[in-house]
Amino acid sequence: MEGGGDSFGSSTAPLAWHDFLERMRQPSAAEFVKSIKSFIVTFSNRAPDPEKDSAAVQEFLENMEGAFRAHTPWAGSSEEELESAGEGLEKYVMTKLFNRVFASVPEDVKSDEELFEKMSLLQQFIRPENLDIKPEYQNETSWLLAQKELQKINMYKAPRDKLACVLNCCKVINNLLLNASVVSNENPPGADEFLPVLIYVTIKANPPQLHSNLLYIQRYRRQTRLVSEAQYFFTNILSAESFIWNIDGESLSMNELDFQRKMDSARERLLGLSADSENQDNQANLDAQDRKSENLKANRNSDARLSMKDHVQGSGQDMRRDSDVTVDGKPVERVQSISDIEKKGAAELLNDDELNKKFQEYPFLFARAGDLTIADVESLLNSYKQLVLRYVALAQGMGVSPETTLAQSSQPPSDLVGSEEPENVNDNEKSEGISKTSDDVISENDRPEALDIKTSEKMTQKTAVDPNDDLEALKDEAPCQPENA
Amino acid sequence: MGCSSSLPASNAGGLSNANNVSSDTDSKNFRVKLVLLGDSGVGKSCIVLRFVRGQFDPTSKVTVGASFLSQTLALEDSTTVKFEIWDTAGQERYAALAPLYYRGAGAAIVVYDITSPESFNKAQYWVKELQKHGSPDMIMALVGNKADLHENRTVSSQEAQEYAERNSMFFIETSAKTADNINQLFEEIAKRLPKPASS
Ligand SMILES: Nc1nc2c(ncn2[C@@H]2O[C@H](COP(=O)(O)OP(=O)(O)O)[C@@H](O)[C@H]2O)c(=O)[nH]1
Ligand SMILES: [Mg+2]
Repeated sequence: MEGGGDSFGSSTAPLAWHDFLERMRQPSAAEFVKSIKSFIVTFSNRAPDPEKDSAAVQEFLENMEGAFRAHTPWAGSSEEELESAGEGLEKYVMTKLFNRVFASVPEDVKSDEELFEKMSLLQQFIRPENLDIKPEYQNETSWLLAQKELQKINMYKAPRDKLACVLNCCKVINNLLLNASVVSNENPPGADEFLPVLIYVTIKANPPQLHSNLLYIQRYRRQTRLVSEAQYFFTNILSAESFIWNIDGESLSMNELDFQRKMDSARERLLGLSADSENQDNQANLDAQDRKSENLKANRNSDARLSMKDHVQGSGQDMRRDSDVTVDGKPVERVQSISDIEKKGAAELLNDDELNKKFQEYPFLFARAGDLTIADVESLLNSYKQLVLRYVALAQGMGVSPETTLAQSSQPPSDLVGSEEPENVNDNEKSEGISKTSDDVISENDRPEALDIKTSEKMTQKTAVDPNDDLEALKDEAPCQPENA
Repeated sequence: MGCSSSLPASNAGGLSNANNVSSDTDSKNFRVKLVLLGDSGVGKSCIVLRFVRGQFDPTSKVTVGASFLSQTLALEDSTTVKFEIWDTAGQERYAALAPLYYRGAGAAIVVYDITSPESFNKAQYWVKELQKHGSPDMIMALVGNKADLHENRTVSSQEAQEYAERNSMFFIETSAKTADNINQLFEEIAKRLPKPASS
């Protein structure tokens, strides 16, 4: 992906963004500033109407881009500079309008909730085989990396930045598939391999408000920039969403009855009813045997590494909701802290005959510094990343902060692993409901290049934009100025 | 294996709009979205990789698999056509999603395997789908792949040819394995594309 033709060119690299703000502050840009300001004010005063809103923004961006071309301080600029001016404008305008247009109508809010619920049920029992993911391409641990990219979607307000999260997620999947295909001497992966993994990753990631995020990108990403490769991968996630909405037994190659049962027991588990389901289960004798063995598997899985992830997610849910008291129809949750769970696990481990086997996965656990060679660094780093990812994901899944020494004591002195973001896993998030993270930020110095994705450099130039930067002239009227720091 | 596993891909991108066929910077360069349809295993990925590899650009070092690839073809009249090739998942459970992919496509390639009658049936299903829901000026090609396996042929060329004619598509048999007819397939599509008016 060399050159300016890339769908993720240099357009909103930090420098370009600063350049945009710089130029906007020049006296000769006064007219532009006035137009932008007046557009934002007029727009903000109207009642939400997604179709009209989208058309109005698209038209405004288009007109302004035309005007940039013809007037100082952009007249005579190269195509590339004009392109970044357009990106800057889109980012600026949409950051201001975000609160007004994002999930602004009841239907969208409702869809968000329904989709979120459906995925939180599905993720408890769906298996790669249900989606035709071939064994040689199954790699749940590495898929966490892709999930993580998608989960960043609520950290941004600009359509381009949200889109970049989707594309980064797709890139990670593509790279993993490509590696797997080389290893297993398969043909390069195509859509047959890609789409199922994307669906699986989306269900497991289950980012809050996914539906609204996708609509927002579709409506407010400048249409002329949602083309080619970006459009292809965006279409894939729309298609994943559509598939997920329609998932039934048949689409997962399951007996419909079986599917409904799995959904029901997932729902029970979510509601915290299943903690003692073995006593309560008078509803289906047929089913009881099944479910018992399922619970057994979920709770005491000691062999398969593959199912580690499910173990974490499935039983995590169980423990998290250990009360079925309701207030306003919502279950009240008494959340166990990570250290509670850790203690419980430690006690179980001590009684485990296969203790040694469990630690085989972690070759460095009993190593001393002197034992290590330079060659170990890479594998150590990989193990470290996997561990952190699992841990942070676990903490996130439980809705608690990673409180222990793991985060601090093992932090390397340099910037090697700059990409974890435990600061987002905070307690506020619980009390504020699902969308908390979306409010604070375009910030972040987070650096996915640690992921070793060839294209990540381009794809992540969205990052490191100073959120406090603003057009002086517009400051006082900014309806939703990013407010962190 | 019919196609190898370490292929370069050319650039994706471009800044112009998403019409069926769009003119990039001047009237001599076109972009077209081309969608691939057909059963799993008929050779869609191999066909595209073959086409893209044929014009191997040693400076390009990134490959992102075969789900989205683009390749520019220079025609005799010195126009160029940039194909943006969209692969679709061929498994039955994903069939209902296809309209999201072929919407706005300027061309579609429907592939079957000449040794598999089921895949030919599936191809006919896709043709009907495209006729019902696709854009009416979409160029459609029916492709019988794995022509190198002619001793196992179960779908006759004549039958396929006649079917294609009845449905005003053009028909060609290819082999992604030997590269037979791969370039011809894309050249033929390029020729048939309605060109935005040139000066
Ligand atoms: N003999 C032969 N095999 C082919 C040909 N094209 C593809 N294949 C093989 O058919 C299988 C499926 O190909 P693939 O491109 O992955 O099919 P797709 O699912 O339609 O993308 C692979 O094993 C290929 O090696 C061909 O022209 N001749
Ligand atoms: Mg394929």
